[in-house]
Amino acid sequence: MSKFPATQALTVGLAATAVTAAGILVSGAHVVATAWLVGIGFWTAAAIGMLMMILIHHIFDASWSTALRRQFEHGTAAFPWLLLLFLPLIIGSYAGKGDLVWPWMNPAHEVHGAITVRTDLLYEKKSAFLNVPLFTILSIGFFALWIWVSARLRHASFAQDADGDAKWTRRNGFTSGFGIPIVALTLTGAAIYWFKSLEYHWFSTMYGVWYFANCMRAALALGVIIMLWLYGRGDYRGILKTDHLWAIGQLMLTFTVFWAYISFSQYFLIWNANVPEETFWYNIREYGDWWYVSLFLVFGNFLLPFLLLLSYRFKVTHAAIRWIAYLILFVIFVDICYNILPALQDAKGNPQPFLSLNLLWSATSVAGVGGICVWAYMRSLPKTKIIPIRDPRIGECLSHHE
Amino acid sequence: MAEKPFGLVATFDSTGALMRAAVQVRDAGYRKWDCITPFPVHGIDQAMGLGRSRVPRFSLAGGVTGFFTGMCMIFYMNGFDYRLSVGGKPFFSPLFAFPISYELTILFTAFATIGGMFYLNGLPMHYHPVLNYPNIRKATDNRFLIVIERADPRFDEAATRALLERVGGADIEEVEA
Repeated sequence: MSKFPATQALTVGLAATAVTAAGILVSGAHVVATAWLVGIGFWTAAAIGMLMMILIHHIFDASWSTALRRQFEHGTAAFPWLLLLFLPLIIGSYAGKGDLVWPWMNPAHEVHGAITVRTDLLYEKKSAFLNVPLFTILSIGFFALWIWVSARLRHASFAQDADGDAKWTRRNGFTSGFGIPIVALTLTGAAIYWFKSLEYHWFSTMYGVWYFANCMRAALALGVIIMLWLYGRGDYRGILKTDHLWAIGQLMLTFTVFWAYISFSQYFLIWNANVPEETFWYNIREYGDWWYVSLFLVFGNFLLPFLLLLSYRFKVTHAAIRWIAYLILFVIFVDICYNILPALQDAKGNPQPFLSLNLLWSATSVAGVGGICVWAYMRSLPKTKIIPIRDPRIGECLSHHE
Repeated sequence: MAEKPFGLVATFDSTGALMRAAVQVRDAGYRKWDCITPFPVHGIDQAMGLGRSRVPRFSLAGGVTGFFTGMCMIFYMNGFDYRLSVGGKPFFSPLFAFPISYELTILFTAFATIGGMFYLNGLPMHYHPVLNYPNIRKATDNRFLIVIERADPRFDEAATRALLERVGGADIEEVEA
């Protein structure tokens, strides 16, 4: 296996990170730090989705996904690096006035130009949760739990390559039993802390599930891209079958519908109840060009991938499903921008436009964090066999048939 | 018996023998024929040259019909026939029509899928000529059958029988319609 892609990925990641950092001189630290959160949010979603796919694989004792699971195990090697890349945002919140990213971290931050966070009743009610020490402990704790659960799964799976003992499979089934609630709760906590609290007046019980939907979509799209990449390289010749692509394509369709169901439900309940504490969140997302981003979410995030993924032929044709996977990754990026970037406001309190330098720094952040995540995956890849060769289910996986 | 026989049936001992025979029957250009097996045989659809099922087309048509039925129904009822002002909302909005349209999409898709499957399979079917074949009970246990129908344009009493013999079929018999 050549080392070239790993080095290349790291170079791209570091260069894009440097460009993002240089953006501070142009747009200021608040904008760039918020854009950096887009990069973290995107790739953490992908890593959590991969972790969830491994857990779900084990809890159902699935067979078709056994070969693909190994690639997801490599993907979760990104968690320690994601923690490292997230730390600047926490450290930055301790330096200065506190509102580097999250406005509620600065008690003197003005709310609606009339009151400050300190005197805001809605902040006071939520301050038991929204305070910097708890944020720090829990954010690092979330990463620690993801690293721990994924390390357990990786260790057992890799050890089975050596001795072929079925106890590793049982151990991973046990890990999945407690791993799924842990990951579900932590990803919900992370979504609330990192993204939802940017506009802390707002509340939505759908929010964690929204992030989960994007986690799964990102992991499945990357899974397709990885499988086809390995096939093109030759590693997956004789392993990847039409029915594997069909199976993962069906899951992509499922989670496209799931994303739409969650996002629509969130919007519909708020639209129907019409309570100002909730509707403002969508009002600012209809301001200026964000209105077109909202429409793009309906048609680009849901309708287009939905219609494309209904087709059996598109699901199993390499070129088609690869493009659908890229499309889904792109729309997840737009969705995460939609959730984070309107928190950046102009002097009048309106959201800054979508098409602005903020989007550029978000894109360089995704490239920066992504390069380092891909590098982490590439570093892990040559450490083991390309498929879990002695997994009890590997035979069923290789002869998978609809 | 005034009616013509249904066709020729042959018995095979293993899935391997059945698959090899199916490939040759397929390559001989027959269209109206079938394999009867006691359990699903993976890959038999390719060996028989069958394409994908056409049921999804019925499903899609049902889904589209269901969605627009829901939208049109609510538009007619709330926006036209019996207007009610609730909470300052518009008389009609696709937003509140969406949950109903979505439910009807699923319902109609399910109906169309079941209906399309019945239609394409020719169900309900209470009688099939192949039930007259003496080995039919074995085909629910450990034997595999190939049936070539007389209705096939390439069917020829002698040539088809010779083909079934050549591909290794045993107990070749003509079954009554």
